[in-house]
Amino acid sequence: MAAVYMRRLGKELREIETEAPPAGLRLLKADDFDTWIFQIEVLGDSLYRGERFALKFRFDNTYPFSAPAVQFVVDSQMRAPVHPHVYTNGHICASILGEDWSPTLSVISVCITIQSMLASCKKKELPEGNDTYVRTAPDNPKKTHFVYDDDTV
Amino acid sequence: MKVVINRWHAIAQWQWDTGRTDEHGDTEEDVCGICRVPFEGCCPTCKMPGDDCPLIWGECSHVFHMHCLLKWIGTPASKQQCPMDRRPWVTAERKVSGS
Repeated sequence: MAAVYMRRLGKELREIETEAPPAGLRLLKADDFDTWIFQIEVLGDSLYRGERFALKFRFDNTYPFSAPAVQFVVDSQMRAPVHPHVYTNGHICASILGEDWSPTLSVISVCITIQSMLASCKKKELPEGNDTYVRTAPDNPKKTHFVYDDDTV
Repeated sequence: MKVVINRWHAIAQWQWDTGRTDEHGDTEEDVCGICRVPFEGCCPTCKMPGDDCPLIWGECSHVFHMHCLLKWIGTPASKQQCPMDRRPWVTAERKVSGS
């Protein structure tokens, strides 16, 4: 029998494949239940008009009782958005990915939250202490203890 | 004509009275918000639906498979809150159906 977390992810995947995902989101890769990648763009008026990003989800068997590890893909082709809550290594400081996670959230609801986090951005700037963080950050953003101090963006 | 019944199978249908379907007359998805399995199915760790895998109601009116909710409440990350509205989870008395 498939592990419990795979059954829940399988349901989410079937839903994404049968009903088109919300505007601006496209599933790029979901070959297994370890890593999924979405293309994400912000439609309408925003500082990120015309930009495309890739959002990577990593799951383990604690899903959905614990949040997936979510970050922007940073490689030879993709860059993370310049945003006060997004480090240049792709790590995202968002409370729903940490202490405000709930098992009723889903992959798509996380994508939508990240999309709206970008859409509401007023000024493209890097997070404070970006360089230091990126130098010392663990590979898995869930190992970082973020402090959520700003509810405005 | 004479009909003789040799054999018959009784078939019954059941569903949990979640108290939230008829009012709106809609086909509100009756799935557990945690595992996404219908209430009438069982949580992912059970094999048999029914009394062995019951539902649990919160005073906030949200319903889940009991096993799913207890698993969540058992994690420190839950802060003992309802996964839907983040209010402190208080299990409601099982209401007696009016119908």
